[in-house]
Amino acid sequence: MAEEFNVEGMLDMYLFENGQLLEQLQETVLEQKDAECFDEDTINEIFRTMHTIKGSSGIMMFDNVTAISHKLEDVFYYLRESHPQNVVHEELVEHVLQVVDFITGEMDKIQDGSPVDGDPADIIAELDRFLEEIKNGAVKEGKELPKANVSEEPKHFYIAPVANSASHFYKIYITFFPDTDMANVHAYKTVYALKELAEDLLYEPEDLISDESSITTLLEEGFRILLQAQCSEADIRQVIKTGYDIEKVDIFECKAEEFLQGFDFGDHQEPQIDLQSSVEEIEAKAQAEQEGAEEQEAEKNEKPEKIEKPEKPKMAPGDFVIQSKSPGKPKKLAKDKPKTEKAAFISVNVQKMDQLMDLIGELVISESVVLQNPDLKVPGLNLDNFNKAATQMAKIATDLQNVIMSMRMVPLTNLFQKMNRIVFDVSRKLGKDIEFEMIGEHTEVDKNISEKISDPLMHLVRNAVDHGIETNEERAESGKTDKGKVTLAAKTEAGKVWITVSDNGKGLDRTKILAKAKKQGLLDPDRLESSYEDKEVFQFITLPGFSTNEQVTEYSGRGVGMDVVVQNIQSIGGTLEIESTAGFGSSMILKIPLTLAIIDGIVMETGTTSFVVETSFIKQFVRVTEEMMIHEPTGEEYVMIRDECYPVLRIGDWYGLEDYRSNVEEGMMLLFEVEGKTICLFVDKLIGKQEIVVKPIPPYIKKVKGISGCTQLGDGSIALILDPSGLID
Amino acid sequence: MSEEREGVRGQDHDVQQGKYMTFKSGNEYFGLKLQYVSEIIPFQAITAIPETEDYIKGLINLRGKILPVIDVRRRFKQEPFEYNDRTCIMVIIVKDTMVGLVVEQIAEVVEIADENILPPPTIMRGDRLQNKYVYGIGRVGDSVKLLIDPDKLLNDNDNSAAEQTNDMSDDDEREV
Repeated sequence: MAEEFNVEGMLDMYLFENGQLLEQLQETVLEQKDAECFDEDTINEIFRTMHTIKGSSGIMMFDNVTAISHKLEDVFYYLRESHPQNVVHEELVEHVLQVVDFITGEMDKIQDGSPVDGDPADIIAELDRFLEEIKNGAVKEGKELPKANVSEEPKHFYIAPVANSASHFYKIYITFFPDTDMANVHAYKTVYALKELAEDLLYEPEDLISDESSITTLLEEGFRILLQAQCSEADIRQVIKTGYDIEKVDIFECKAEEFLQGFDFGDHQEPQIDLQSSVEEIEAKAQAEQEGAEEQEAEKNEKPEKIEKPEKPKMAPGDFVIQSKSPGKPKKLAKDKPKTEKAAFISVNVQKMDQLMDLIGELVISESVVLQNPDLKVPGLNLDNFNKAATQMAKIATDLQNVIMSMRMVPLTNLFQKMNRIVFDVSRKLGKDIEFEMIGEHTEVDKNISEKISDPLMHLVRNAVDHGIETNEERAESGKTDKGKVTLAAKTEAGKVWITVSDNGKGLDRTKILAKAKKQGLLDPDRLESSYEDKEVFQFITLPGFSTNEQVTEYSGRGVGMDVVVQNIQSIGGTLEIESTAGFGSSMILKIPLTLAIIDGIVMETGTTSFVVETSFIKQFVRVTEEMMIHEPTGEEYVMIRDECYPVLRIGDWYGLEDYRSNVEEGMMLLFEVEGKTICLFVDKLIGKQEIVVKPIPPYIKKVKGISGCTQLGDGSIALILDPSGLID
Repeated sequence: MSEEREGVRGQDHDVQQGKYMTFKSGNEYFGLKLQYVSEIIPFQAITAIPETEDYIKGLINLRGKILPVIDVRRRFKQEPFEYNDRTCIMVIIVKDTMVGLVVEQIAEVVEIADENILPPPTIMRGDRLQNKYVYGIGRVGDSVKLLIDPDKLLNDNDNSAAEQTNDMSDDDEREV
């Protein structure tokens, strides 16, 4: 064989590209789901997508995907050609989504390495039925059906490879024995072998692998090949030998023009784009062809092909198909790229990204080691030039940091789109009329955060649709005039990304929740029920096994969802807050730290341990005197600063450190503010301000309250990063 | 005697089979399959982490990577030892987790054929039967090394195992 098929690479490519196509398709479909029908662009897009998937799946031998995409392609071919008016749009949308789901499911299986065994028969039968209905509708109205979508393809533009004077052109007819099994595979084999010799190669029937009818064509009409090569007829016969499969091989030498004309089919007219000849030659050719083509066009238009469309559909610029030389590769349409992102993408191994992240972290540390080097502290040294150069270096390093960090960030758009689909599905199944709104979907988060919150978000969205939003009747009864709406919003604030799932449904019932909590013994006997703040009450629903639902539905209500949600969120260091107003709706707010950070920090020491706190949390540094302290009998301490009273936390005590200062007058107080609460932290001394790279505490060590990570200081020692919100609780 | 910074990564896996890195802790010699050992570095300052188990000494900075460090004696619930200039840190990698072990004294790499490895004697201690950390006893010349499963060492949080290790070693000495 001439080439080695690199299956691994091809498989990745296949999954990646088709994944993109399917996502894009789903988005487009959902955008138009409420419309009356799909517009022309969308129909074309769906057709092309299915066509591409059919082709590539055929090559990869995923027959079920090929079959189902072929079927949907047929449906959309019909829609494109005939523009029937009787299409039930909702049904069509559902069918498209069904097919998308099926293919996505199969591709997941491929990715996991499980057997690709989905059976598309049911969906295909439904599509058949659907298509029949539309066609019957058309026939009733007296319209004629267009020719079946067998080999009708958008116009091909054939890019001829270089032909030099030594090239010969051959027409080859191969006849197979009538009882040859899998003639298409033999034909494919032959073509493949010829590729070694060929400068250019065309063959008919083309669709050898995925189209089973090609076998019949091969047996009945034979295999036709057009070959451009520098070899002789004898060479060809060496490659294509008669045998048990091939009965006869006829080889005719022909002229270049005949070769370029392709197979002598009436419909197949292939205008060529000749990249190699000079402009004059092309123009001359074009002239000659134009006249020839016009004649043929005139003939064609007389044929009663389609009644509604008197003109031939104009060739849209995007309809070109670049026919590749090698047999069997899927024909990629030039226009067939996702519409929205015009930017080109490369897929990069995540490990390499991680390495890059580590290196830039090291660079930051090295930078401070260099710039703060004790060697430089020689008095009297003129460091002007050095400082200038150092500033320049610092600037470049900062830019480099920013770009690299942004590489791992992905916008939440895809995730939110998935939610769109879920709202659609669940609301349809429950018969509720629900709108979906997205705000701030362009907010970017680190890739692995995006993956980890996918499941929790899905659960919250399902909850909103299932429990939050009432049925249409209930809404009418309670006087709500607006449609049920689920909103997903994202924004960054104070180093965290806030993702909110809110609905305008019936809200959480505080009394019910308290009652259930009481029954489960979760309430503190010393506290009055009324002393529980709303926020606290609502947090009860995140406990395992807690559900005020009388009945369990398919989607939720068992009481096992919310605690898993909270666990998942906590595993990435985030929190879940719940707000709700009875009768008006609820909001679930996820607050997730942007863990990837090179942050500005203040380094401080207590005892022998170094700590770092992000600068933005610190409001003030204060040196206090003993008089400003208030000591409660319970051991808690407060400090009065400018007539305000703040709770004090001694880090040394809190963490059981050693050798730290106890006298408040010898240490330093730091005033933190986190989410409205203020606290005073007592440390021994401040070291300085430094840019630090946040590194996670190795997973082996269990999470410590108040510590969110660690970092390396300029001298190589390790400092622990304090998380004020952990300290405040 | 193993030297500092002995890197054994990159050796053929087969070549390492049967080879064990031995070290001394208390009165016993322990052995660890060489394939887990990444390097051995001289003792360096450890940054303590508050509110962790006592055997987790803290974190160290190894060429930019931050590793947790465990004191083996404390892990076995034995009397902790004074760190001196013979103390070193053995960096091991177990199932993608990189951890440092503070070791009192590094011994040598020995080869122990499978037939010289005996299963550890099972000791009944109330209702606790199994041996957790030590999965075998390797005979090398006149001495025995207690072979440790690093996975258990890192992940097992049951305290009973350490007691058994003590008992076993006592038994061994009596037998020998």
